[in-house]
Amino acid sequence: MIDHDDTKPSQGQYKLRLFITGSTPRSARAIENMRRICAENLEGRYDLEVVDVYQDPEATKDLQIIATPTLVKILPEPLRRIIGDLSDRERVLAGLDIAPLDKGDLEQP
Amino acid sequence: MSQIPEFSSLDYSQLIELQDRLREAEETLEAIRNGEVDAVVVGGPSGQQVYTLENADRPYRVLIEQMQEGAVTLSEDGVVLYCNQRFATLVGADRSTLIGESIERFIGDKELYAFRRLLTLNRGFGRSAELTLQASNGLVVPVNISIADLEGEDQMPKVLCGVVTDLTRSRERSHELAAANLKLASEIDERRRVEDSLQLALDAAEMGHWDLDLLNDKLSRSARYDQIFGDAAGGVSGQLETIFSSFVPEDRAAVKDDFLRAKSAGSVEFERRIRRLNDGAIRWVQVKGRTFYVDGIPGRISGVISDVTERRQVEEQLRQSQKMEAIGQLTGGIAHDFNNLLMVIGGSLDMLDQRVTKEEKVTRYLAAARHAVERGATLNQQLLAFSRRQDLRAETLCIDDLIRTFANLLDRAVGEAVTVKIQDAPELWCCRTDAHQLETAILNLAINARDAMPQGGTLTLKTSVRKLSAQAAVVNGANAGDYVVVSVADTGVGMTPDVVDRVFEPFFTTKEVGKGTGLGLSQVYGFARQSGGFVTIESNPGTGTTVHIHLPQTAPVETTEAVGDTPVEVRGKGTVLVVEDDNDVRAIASSLLENLGYSVVEAETGSDAMKLIDRGERIDLVFTDVIMPGEMNGIDLVRAMKVKHAEIPVLLTSGYTAQRIAMAEMAEGLQLLRKPYTQVDLSLAVRRVMNEQV
Repeated sequence: MIDHDDTKPSQGQYKLRLFITGSTPRSARAIENMRRICAENLEGRYDLEVVDVYQDPEATKDLQIIATPTLVKILPEPLRRIIGDLSDRERVLAGLDIAPLDKGDLEQP
Repeated sequence: MSQIPEFSSLDYSQLIELQDRLREAEETLEAIRNGEVDAVVVGGPSGQQVYTLENADRPYRVLIEQMQEGAVTLSEDGVVLYCNQRFATLVGADRSTLIGESIERFIGDKELYAFRRLLTLNRGFGRSAELTLQASNGLVVPVNISIADLEGEDQMPKVLCGVVTDLTRSRERSHELAAANLKLASEIDERRRVEDSLQLALDAAEMGHWDLDLLNDKLSRSARYDQIFGDAAGGVSGQLETIFSSFVPEDRAAVKDDFLRAKSAGSVEFERRIRRLNDGAIRWVQVKGRTFYVDGIPGRISGVISDVTERRQVEEQLRQSQKMEAIGQLTGGIAHDFNNLLMVIGGSLDMLDQRVTKEEKVTRYLAAARHAVERGATLNQQLLAFSRRQDLRAETLCIDDLIRTFANLLDRAVGEAVTVKIQDAPELWCCRTDAHQLETAILNLAINARDAMPQGGTLTLKTSVRKLSAQAAVVNGANAGDYVVVSVADTGVGMTPDVVDRVFEPFFTTKEVGKGTGLGLSQVYGFARQSGGFVTIESNPGTGTTVHIHLPQTAPVETTEAVGDTPVEVRGKGTVLVVEDDNDVRAIASSLLENLGYSVVEAETGSDAMKLIDRGERIDLVFTDVIMPGEMNGIDLVRAMKVKHAEIPVLLTSGYTAQRIAMAEMAEGLQLLRKPYTQVDLSLAVRRVMNEQV
């Protein structure tokens, strides 16, 4: 579930931003992978924003994006950037500071 | 010691962060190196620029190539830099021949200016126009071209993007739609025409239309419907109840029943009375309708309505005149027989007169009896006048001249309590009629007027002229044309409509027993009809009665004949053949003739008479009744004699004398003696005929 109320994220809430370029193959794959990882590991406690840099190139400035696709973990700190199509699940989870869970396991609150 | 751990811990967290950042930078570099990214973002003075790596825009190329719109990029002056397959197909050319060519070769001369404006005007905004492409294969393709400017570096040449949409299908569809619309419109027109002509027909028939929705109890109706009901506003709520409320209370229940029955019977038809809203008049309406069923349930009753008041009035008039005609027939027949009776009585009295001693008492009795016969004959003449079997002695006369000479008599007839006013007509109007009958008619009306005003009042007599239209003529059973109207008005008690309906019937009287014969107005009626005219009555209880005698107007003539002779019995000689079917009458006629000095031969029928004549017996005069049973009546006998025995004079007699008109074709000079006649009348008539013959 996407929570749009990002002004005051609750404890343990993830604020993520994914930069892509239109419907290029890797951008499309990155969106797909990100959604799956969020659904499996961050159910109910994430806020994901997808930014198309074609439509909003200036949005890359603040977070110093130099290539797409790039996933940025804004919260919880520290800020982390993960580049690529997010197909390496272990690397993404490490970047997000989440211990990997086996598929189907219930998540701890 | 205490400082070191502090410093070293700070240093450690920095170290961790630096490590992370380094790892991130390495990962980024590796990702770019490994081709795991699609685009790189480069910051510059003109903002962030996105550079897509090779093949990353492939989906867009596929989109452009596959889409069903033509796509082109053009230089500022219209040279094709790129086009997709669809565009090439649209213009019917090979793609390789198109690149580098001007797109303007596909634009017709007439639209070239518009196309150039499309490329150059409103730079920086999307814009579009509908144009026609002249394809290489000769086809003409209607298209929509939308143009956008492609953003590029300042020093780069300006490039335009265009999307070309084929409008052929949509044009076809709009043409089909337009055709369908046209067809629909013409169908609607046709339907409206049918409705209009139906409306015209209904209007011409003065019929209103109504439609009763039984399920919603809603009544819709045409303007004429409201007109018939005198409902100018047409505002009353449309329900079945509103239909009922317009009918007079006596008819309401029947109307309800009729509508109730219509639900099962399938139709409704009735004539009932309504009270018209605007003037309160009672009118007869005819309602006809049919029930329409939805799934076996009566859903609507729909039909027409017309005001039939006038038709009913005409029918009423017709019924009245048919009744009068029937009474006339009957009366005429009775009068004929009655005349024969009077003839026998009168003739016998004449005979007695000559045979009995002239005692004073006997003379008085005889005179009284004769007087009674005369009165009977007068009554009979009135009856015959009513039944139009009375002979009219028609002459052209000026009505006002007649009335003026008549004024004294009128004054005397009505008595002193009643004032007689005679209004002078502006001109002298003439008609062809019987002066004596007209006098009698006016006198009869004057006497009725007097009786209607026992306390006194005014009797007004006036003449006027009325032009009768064809419609009014039908109502009155007369011909259209100009009529002189003699009106006799009183200020008396008046009559109710049901009395007015019956006043022309013979023997109908409102007077006490013995005060009137009930024949006065009958005479007026019969006289007017026989003169080719008619009579109308206006009467209201309490305000008086006016009777109008309408007589056809004719051109005036100079003189009128004057008649007058004093009857003296004239005796004669010769043989008279008396032909008469009534034994008593024949016996009396024979006796009277013998008294006058004639010899008499008798015959009961026309054919017997003919046999007698044929036998060659000497006969100086044939005296025959007109109406006789059997194959030969009086007229037939005269015709037969014309052929073989034209030298023998004939005298006709009848109690029923209108046949004279039928005899117009017969030779002039045929004389007719009206029954009942006296010995004196008979002697003069016989003498005249025999003398003429000599």
